[in-house]
Amino acid sequence: MMKIIIKLYALMSVMMTAIVLVGCGGSGEEATTLPEPPVVTYPSYTDISASGGDTTTFDASNSGHGFSTPAPNLTKSELALHLEGDVNFESSFTTAPNAEHPELDGLGPVFNNADCNSCHQRDGRNSTPFLAANETRVKLGSAAGIFLRISKAPDEVCTEGTAQNNYCAPIAVPDFGGQLFHRGVLKARPDWQQNAFIGQADVYLSYQRSEITYADGRTLTLKKPLFDVENPYDAPGETKQSVNVTSNLLQDDVLMGWRNGMPVFGLGLLEAIPEVDILANVDVNDANGDGVSGRANWVFDAVKARDGVAHPVSLGRFGWKANTPSVRVQSLGALRGDIGITNPLFPDESIAGTSLHDAYLTRTGFVDTGSDENGEPEADAAFSDSVTFYAETLAVPARRNVSNSNVREGARLFEQVNCTGCHTPSFTTKTAGDIGGQPMSDSLKGQTIYPFSDMLLHDMGEGLADGRPDFLANGNEWRTRPLWGIGLTQTVNPQAGFLHDGRAATLEEAILWHGGEAEKSQQAFMALTQNERDQVVAFLMSL
Amino acid sequence: MKFKYSAIAFSLIMGLSACGGSGSDEAAPTTPTTPTTPDNSFSFAATEMITNLTDNVIVAGYADLAQKGDALLLATQSLINSTSQADLIAAQAAWKAARQPWEQGESHIFGPVDSLSIDPHLDSWPLNTIDLQTQLNSAAGFDAETIKGWNDDVQGFHTMEYLLFGDGVNDNTKDIDELTTREREYLVALAEVFRDYAEQLDDAWQISHNPQDTNALPYGTLLKQPGTTTNTIYSSQLAVIEELINGMIGIVDEVGNGKIADPFGDSITTADTSKVESQYSWNSLTDFTDNIIGVRNVYQGEYTGSADKQGLIDFVAAKNLALATRVASEIDDSILKIQAIKGSKNQPFRQAILDADGRARVQVAVDALSKLQTSLESDVLPLLSDWKAS
Repeated sequence: MMKIIIKLYALMSVMMTAIVLVGCGGSGEEATTLPEPPVVTYPSYTDISASGGDTTTFDASNSGHGFSTPAPNLTKSELALHLEGDVNFESSFTTAPNAEHPELDGLGPVFNNADCNSCHQRDGRNSTPFLAANETRVKLGSAAGIFLRISKAPDEVCTEGTAQNNYCAPIAVPDFGGQLFHRGVLKARPDWQQNAFIGQADVYLSYQRSEITYADGRTLTLKKPLFDVENPYDAPGETKQSVNVTSNLLQDDVLMGWRNGMPVFGLGLLEAIPEVDILANVDVNDANGDGVSGRANWVFDAVKARDGVAHPVSLGRFGWKANTPSVRVQSLGALRGDIGITNPLFPDESIAGTSLHDAYLTRTGFVDTGSDENGEPEADAAFSDSVTFYAETLAVPARRNVSNSNVREGARLFEQVNCTGCHTPSFTTKTAGDIGGQPMSDSLKGQTIYPFSDMLLHDMGEGLADGRPDFLANGNEWRTRPLWGIGLTQTVNPQAGFLHDGRAATLEEAILWHGGEAEKSQQAFMALTQNERDQVVAFLMSL
Repeated sequence: MKFKYSAIAFSLIMGLSACGGSGSDEAAPTTPTTPTTPDNSFSFAATEMITNLTDNVIVAGYADLAQKGDALLLATQSLINSTSQADLIAAQAAWKAARQPWEQGESHIFGPVDSLSIDPHLDSWPLNTIDLQTQLNSAAGFDAETIKGWNDDVQGFHTMEYLLFGDGVNDNTKDIDELTTREREYLVALAEVFRDYAEQLDDAWQISHNPQDTNALPYGTLLKQPGTTTNTIYSSQLAVIEELINGMIGIVDEVGNGKIADPFGDSITTADTSKVESQYSWNSLTDFTDNIIGVRNVYQGEYTGSADKQGLIDFVAAKNLALATRVASEIDDSILKIQAIKGSKNQPFRQAILDADGRARVQVAVDALSKLQTSLESDVLPLLSDWKAS
């Protein structure tokens, strides 16, 4: 019904324009004496409501349920699989062994959260950690949806992935890995009696604040989250300030960067964008001179490796640095990494082989090895398939207030200041083929979508940089964040922030953090009047 | 959507007016044929309803929860050195009393209860009784702040329940002599954690929704004043009503298809009592009933015991009085059918799902909930498309 009305709306717009033109054009000479009205043209995306094509939801697109509904064009059997994945997405895992619920055991032994939903609250972003009154920092605990990626600084820049260089993957920190797990099951650590439920180390978050001022004098305070890592399991109580730093984790060449959870709707559509269409926007050397380059990340693909592909590398699409190629690899990688649940694609614990894991297995009698007596991983294929399908087929929320004049002006200004240089408004998904190594749902095929992302890497400047390379992405580069649904972010989770570490409390702050290739656009935004800036934000809030 | 349709019509008229200067009859455009879409629109002034539901249902419920949190903490503190069975019974009653506003509040589980992660901290099950026992056997003391950092399956309502009522397998009673010193200490710490979260939730709705920023608006105000430039949460009254309706749908779905269906299984042999909510206290049916009473609170606009005020029923009635009445009776019927699960033998839910007659009664309740869910999804939610805000 909604779609019919929208089509009617489009039809009537055409009729209206035609009628106005006919009506005005018929007066002959008089018309030529009138001054020409200023021609204001609006980008083609201005009046689009259905950001996700036929997968768009209208029934929940104004409320906190806006990211959580299944695509309305799923078949009955697909809907059943989606809903099964929905339950699994919220399933909270427990310490192994759990005799009553063996299907839910295997948490950790070190982890960031016990279920998917805690980092993707209501399928959106996680809450920004807050500091208690009179505190200068907060220790990440069970409420944190943010974590640190970690790796050793490489000796040289990796430019082409090969089997010999591990396809330019980040270099694991010895005895830790590539992700810092601040939580653990009760006995995860050798010193568990003093550090119950603590993971590899304690992580603290604090904020560094700065001010930015517009030409009209308006000033904003920005905040940037900093981290302190202390009390690592390999040197309990140690900090970077200790006289003799012995922990592998606290060495100077260990790179760390914050990562927030991202919304999980519309992901199948993003994976269904033809690779050639993404690569068409690559402009490594900025040949068109617009100050915006755009690079592809080429990353290790666990699905291709599983299938025996000789060069298991694919275009990176997901993650803050486009470091995973598919919803399947992203989802099941997070299941194994963030939660510690092994699965068919990632059958080994991510900390396998570390001192922590070896000691844990010995101490607890090898009851939580990551696989059962038959060698099966903790999550089976059915769980893995459903949770992947869930993330592939969550509906994209329809836009709101599309016809509002401020929103329409904002749409125009968004293009004028060249936000669209990276936030590519639209793609059309492929009409056939696989995603994640499996046949894609018909619901995702041939959809004209408005994600507002080119899916490429861009240097975003020092202010946002984490200095940590990830496959071909360097320390300054981030993948263009899709903007669809962004106006509902805080409706879904009022405590959510924007950007990779949640530093921006508002969309305006997020814009102001844009630097590097986006600096021209950021400057152009700052040069707008207050009213125009509000219109840009109003447009973003309509997405 | 009807509103957009009207806006187009308005633009059309404006376009025609702009051409009025031509003064030529010949040049006048032909009046376009108006699409013959039936006018299903209806008007309803929603401010009073939203204000009432926010202040007198949601905020009143969380204020009640905070009070019950204080009372539960006091009740557990009185157990520390007590040998009186009456003290344990009083603490059990305090737990059940706190449970009531919490479960009723699940009909509007959006906003701070979610964003502050209070829901998983307070209401996770199944428990990890092995880790819990390990901690109870340890020599270290307990304090609320430390426990907040522990896993959700060793804290919250159900850990308190387990300590207060026992394992619930054969009965839901416990002798105070069975409570160890460590259990009593742990109970007090857990009750303190609960009290803190309940206060935080109450504050978020009444003082500031962001604990980091005391100048941020209370969440209640965000609901009552949608569509302002400072309100990044709700863009319109339609958004608020959509939130409220989807909140009702969410809990009806969860009770019917989760809380009841998961332990119910496909047959007696697949029924799983370990998945039953509030299995230790045998409070499950009261929990489920309170969930749907929470739906009734939002629908009727009355928090238990308050006077007649506007609720979603008034919004529905503005369009379709028969539908409004039907949904009200489907809510009442769902409550009655859940209450009837206990049968003549007063069976708790965990026993009823293991008994053929009990299972038949459970199925009746599930069917009633399913009918209600369909009405909310198929008949009530679509009314938003026809509503003309005024």
